[in-house]
Amino acid sequence: MIFKVAWRNIWRHKIRSLVVIIALALGLWAGVFSSAFTQGMMNQKIESVIRMEMSHFQIHQPKFRDEFDSKLFIKDGLSIQKIINQEKDVVASSGRIIAMVMLGSANTNGSVKLNGIIPSDEAIVTELDQKVTTGAYFEGVKRNPILISQKIAEKYKVNVKSKVIITLQDINGEITAGAFKVVGIYNTKNGMYDEINVFVRRSDIANLMVAEDNVHEIAVLLNNHDLAEPMATKYQKAYQELEVLPWMDLSTGMRMMIEMMGTYTLIIVGIILIALLFSIINTMLMAVLERVKEIGMLMSIGMSKPKVFFMILIETVCLTFLGAPLGLLFSYGSITYFGHTGIDLGSAAYADMGFSNVIYPSLEFGDYLDVSIMVIIMAIIASIYPAIKALRLNPVEAIRKI
Amino acid sequence: MSVIETNKLCKTFEGVVPVKAVDNVDLKIENDEFTAIVGPSGSGKTTLLNIIGGLDRPTSGSVKVNDIELNNLSDNELIKFRLKHIGFVFQSYNLIPVLTARENTEFVMLLQNTTVEERNERVDALLKEVGLEDKVNSRPLELSGGQQQRVAVARALASKPDFVLADEPTANLDSKSAENLLDIMLRLNKEEGITFVFSTHDQRVIDRARRVITLEDGKIISDITQNEN
Repeated sequence: MIFKVAWRNIWRHKIRSLVVIIALALGLWAGVFSSAFTQGMMNQKIESVIRMEMSHFQIHQPKFRDEFDSKLFIKDGLSIQKIINQEKDVVASSGRIIAMVMLGSANTNGSVKLNGIIPSDEAIVTELDQKVTTGAYFEGVKRNPILISQKIAEKYKVNVKSKVIITLQDINGEITAGAFKVVGIYNTKNGMYDEINVFVRRSDIANLMVAEDNVHEIAVLLNNHDLAEPMATKYQKAYQELEVLPWMDLSTGMRMMIEMMGTYTLIIVGIILIALLFSIINTMLMAVLERVKEIGMLMSIGMSKPKVFFMILIETVCLTFLGAPLGLLFSYGSITYFGHTGIDLGSAAYADMGFSNVIYPSLEFGDYLDVSIMVIIMAIIASIYPAIKALRLNPVEAIRKI
Repeated sequence: MSVIETNKLCKTFEGVVPVKAVDNVDLKIENDEFTAIVGPSGSGKTTLLNIIGGLDRPTSGSVKVNDIELNNLSDNELIKFRLKHIGFVFQSYNLIPVLTARENTEFVMLLQNTTVEERNERVDALLKEVGLEDKVNSRPLELSGGQQQRVAVARALASKPDFVLADEPTANLDSKSAENLLDIMLRLNKEEGITFVFSTHDQRVIDRARRVITLEDGKIISDITQNEN
């Protein structure tokens, strides 16, 4: 009967209850959707970092990442790569020669990061072949082909078949140069990445640098993101003279960003829930204060204080449970929809920061569960003050109220 | 044995000017009585009923219901005591607006954890008794004032109390409804031996009460047993 009374009490003021329910649903949707949006943005960033930049883990000489010194190569790197490729969880690996070089065209010159790759390996590890928008992926130019980004093409005013000059230090520290012909132009939609990276065949650059079978970097792609850390640890033990780091440690900014985004999401959801909490407290307080006489009567005829408390608690929880599933359902629907279609932010500025400008919101089941638990806790907290207010009523004074 | 017994009962409301609402009241009410407490406004009728009903505590003196000293009970024990021993009828009905006549009557029995069978049987009987068997599914707002007060009487009796306290039960009723309610209360008193104690201004009610206690400035100034008209 207490459930019945509580339930019917909610519908005494239909408009008021509906406003709270809708506010709750919209508030919850806003919180959950912003979480999903942030999560989607982070997932895409992580995916992009893994697929385009870092792979799951990389191997270098310990100081190579700081100094980019061409002498800091992994001796017999291609043999190590072959051993790694035999691991069952390894999808593919790419042994790269890397150097900071001067790129010159007829119009301008500047510094870029040159990646000497084995095109077939790189196509699997970074799917670089699929990013080519103009020209071809190392096809059609026999001698010294180079793949450059759209951004670099625009900056150096070059196109497919244009000739560019690369000047660099070989592994002995001698200055050397080579002419390359643009074979294709790629666009990863990651502005920061595109601004600096160019690709040539490892064999071509190895000749210039006298690098033989040595590489500067081995990037390894796994079949599972979660294996990045354990596999890196495993190979670090195997090659103690080298530095083996998982993607999140290769990019310290990423680890920080993931943690920051998690905190940011928590703060946003927290603020929304606190706002909803006060909205529910306000409504329930109104409901209690306008029923002072009735509650006084209930206590007069023998309704115990725990039962009065329970009744107010049920009313609050029912009110919350009407709005919350609606909000969660709406969130699920919109996240599923936009998870397929994506949300176009319409600005290339995000791409320049390394984020995609089309975001696919995403939220895991566990996150819905977390939000639901938070809402339940919020509903219980919201009921406490109005319920205490009801308990403090003196039946005699309460029934005198008009 | 008296169902209600007060001894030197006093209640003073503190304030800028303290008001002695009940002043040294010694009172005994026996089983089966049909007693009206009368007096002008501010004479202390409602305060006396509230203290007898365990809703308020006296400043001094004692009140016993079935030999249980109410002063010795805690607030929570008083709530349980009221549920078990006392039925209340309020001036402005005070039904639960979201429940039907049947559910309002049943509510107290649910608080007492009565079985479904007993509840159904008693609620049907009570609503029939007060002449509302055709209004069982109506909510208070769908009932007239008189009908609502009859539901309130049925609710007061649902818990099988030792006595029913009614604070000006006919004050908000038209004369026909008031007569009707009075008939029901008298019949329940006569046929089922239910003790009624009520405060009233209504001369028709006073005329039909068997015992009339008159209060003035918190003191009993007369206590008359009269023949039923």
